[in-house]
Amino acid sequence: MKGTLQKVMLPTILVILAYGFWISPDFKEIAAGVAIFLFGMLALEEGFKAFTGGTLEKILKKTTNKLWKSISFGVVSTSIMQSSSLVSVITISFLGAGLIGLSEGIGIIFGANLGTTTGAWLVAGFGLKVKISAYAMPMLVFGVIMIFQKSRHLKGIGYILTGLGFLFLGIHHMKEGFETFKSAIDLAEYAVAGYPGLFLFTLIGIFATVVMQSSHATLVLIITALAAQQISYENALALAIGANVGTTITAILGALSSNELGKRLAGAHLIFNVVTGLIAIAFIHQLLVAVDLISAYVGIAEADYTLKLAVFHTLFNLIGIVVMIPFTNHLVGFLERVIKSEPDKYAQPKYLNESALEFADAALEAMRMETARVYTMATDVIAKGLSLDKQKILSDAKLKTVIAQHARAIDYDIDDVYEHEIKRLCSAILDFTNKLSSADPVIARQISRIRMANQSILIALKDVKHLQKNMKRYIASDNPEISAEYNRLRQRIAKVIRRLEKIRASGETSVTSILSLDALKLTLEKNMGLLHERMNELIRGGKVSAEMAISLMNDSNYTYSIIHNLIQINHNYLKSEEGTETEAEHMIALNREEIGTVLADNRETAE
Amino acid sequence: MKFDNALKKKLLKRLKSYMNAEAEQLQQEDDGLSKVLKKLKKKEKHLKELIAAERDDDEREMLEQELKVIRSQRKKGITLLSSLRKKGNK
Repeated sequence: MKGTLQKVMLPTILVILAYGFWISPDFKEIAAGVAIFLFGMLALEEGFKAFTGGTLEKILKKTTNKLWKSISFGVVSTSIMQSSSLVSVITISFLGAGLIGLSEGIGIIFGANLGTTTGAWLVAGFGLKVKISAYAMPMLVFGVIMIFQKSRHLKGIGYILTGLGFLFLGIHHMKEGFETFKSAIDLAEYAVAGYPGLFLFTLIGIFATVVMQSSHATLVLIITALAAQQISYENALALAIGANVGTTITAILGALSSNELGKRLAGAHLIFNVVTGLIAIAFIHQLLVAVDLISAYVGIAEADYTLKLAVFHTLFNLIGIVVMIPFTNHLVGFLERVIKSEPDKYAQPKYLNESALEFADAALEAMRMETARVYTMATDVIAKGLSLDKQKILSDAKLKTVIAQHARAIDYDIDDVYEHEIKRLCSAILDFTNKLSSADPVIARQISRIRMANQSILIALKDVKHLQKNMKRYIASDNPEISAEYNRLRQRIAKVIRRLEKIRASGETSVTSILSLDALKLTLEKNMGLLHERMNELIRGGKVSAEMAISLMNDSNYTYSIIHNLIQINHNYLKSEEGTETEAEHMIALNREEIGTVLADNRETAE
Repeated sequence: MKFDNALKKKLLKRLKSYMNAEAEQLQQEDDGLSKVLKKLKKKEKHLKELIAAERDDDEREMLEQELKVIRSQRKKGITLLSSLRKKGNK
């Protein structure tokens, strides 16, 4: 039912949008603005991700680790950027990229609300407004140039600049689209006195800011209307309160493309601004008295309502912060309850639980099972990385046929699975081994084997990633020699995966499973020798280009390393549990030198 | 202070195993190696039968290779076992 609904939903939305575009060019502009804005958010998050684990994280952690610091961060950054919406959107992307926590984000949002009031001072005092949208085009140009650079950090900066450029451009298009609505807003028509007027003008303020996507624009409108005496001073204050609430729409829009953390922050932004607005409405008369007192104290003329408006704007946001600070933790708790995180879509350890740590044997078994699970996942990734199907590899079909059936390279993002699944699980296992550190040499030896098995898994996957690059290029190459060599490399890895699976399957019954790996080691060394001989022939005969030869040389080393590590994984975890026979097997297992001797004997017999 | 017989025996056994810890470990290693060597011998015999019955050349070559590895492993195991026993006799 849900699936059918989803299938119907998307085409319906697309048709409605298309119809809307057809009948209204303004609607088209607004929708394009929203789309560009959301794309900007994605680019911004991508950019910040490039700096995770580095300097930016350190700077952000240092500048936001205490509430007063994160509030100051919000105040300063908003004063510089002159846009609380932008700061809140960037904060959401910080959160989305995992650079800061929700409490720090809330602090920044509180600060941004205070920082944005400096805009009112600028508009009221100097009639100035820093037009950041003018920077959109240069930002896009510089950003895209930087995205093309090789350095990860330059790429990150490129994405950030492009993201900001798209954000501004999106807002610009939304504003353009709403231009017709803007001219329809004539404030003088709605002048109403008393509380009904207060509520009405607050709503107008919200609406105007949502429409114009900028509390600054609303403020300019208010100040102009106030100067032209189109509206009363009280109504102007209500509009300012409304503008403060309406400005959260940008953050809500930004949170649409973010994860639950971003959504929680947008929720915090909305709650803060609504609560602040309600306080301001409830205590409007007291606030007016306070504004008059402060204005008189700082020397603002009695009739200078525009500057008084700025004082009011600052005062009620300040009160909002003072009121909300004690409730920050409650706010975090509330948002976490209301906006629940989706179940983690990435892999989680299945067997590692704290209770297993109480008994070394149970903990070791848990780690062994988890390692086996990661190994199964890793071989699946390796198969896909080689554009093969693991089920087919493990079937009884001839491997040559399997390879021939999968002659076309398939795009598969190993990095993504490596980062989000395998590396996470291996790190969890390694963390677990650290918790179990034991003085008992037998247990320590077993822990060390599990660690080594996990390290081998990671190395093997990294190698497949390297191998994948050229393999995709050459398996279907016009040059039959190079495509045959690359397919041979695939076949070799597939053969080892199949053989290891058989050894693993017999692991419970066969006591000599560790020793069975030695035959594989021998084949590995033998095949490497054969490959080198063939490679020399290919180069001498001019059958492959120098570039191909170099790629093949590198990739044969990667293949060697993949197979070697696959064997090592099994060597270390097949029977990490201690027993007299297991220990004997480890003692008897042949080392590289001994394998070399067997290989040399083999050659002599053949000759 | 009086010891009952059961406790005396227990303490003596513990003392003995403490004094003979090294010998016990050697014995365990000896047991492990002997068992694995026996199994390898069985495996070698089984492989020989498989090779005799195998018609596919590639497959037979692979089995022969495996046989050579097992022979080397047995050789290594026997050397280890004899040096272990020499160490035990000293």
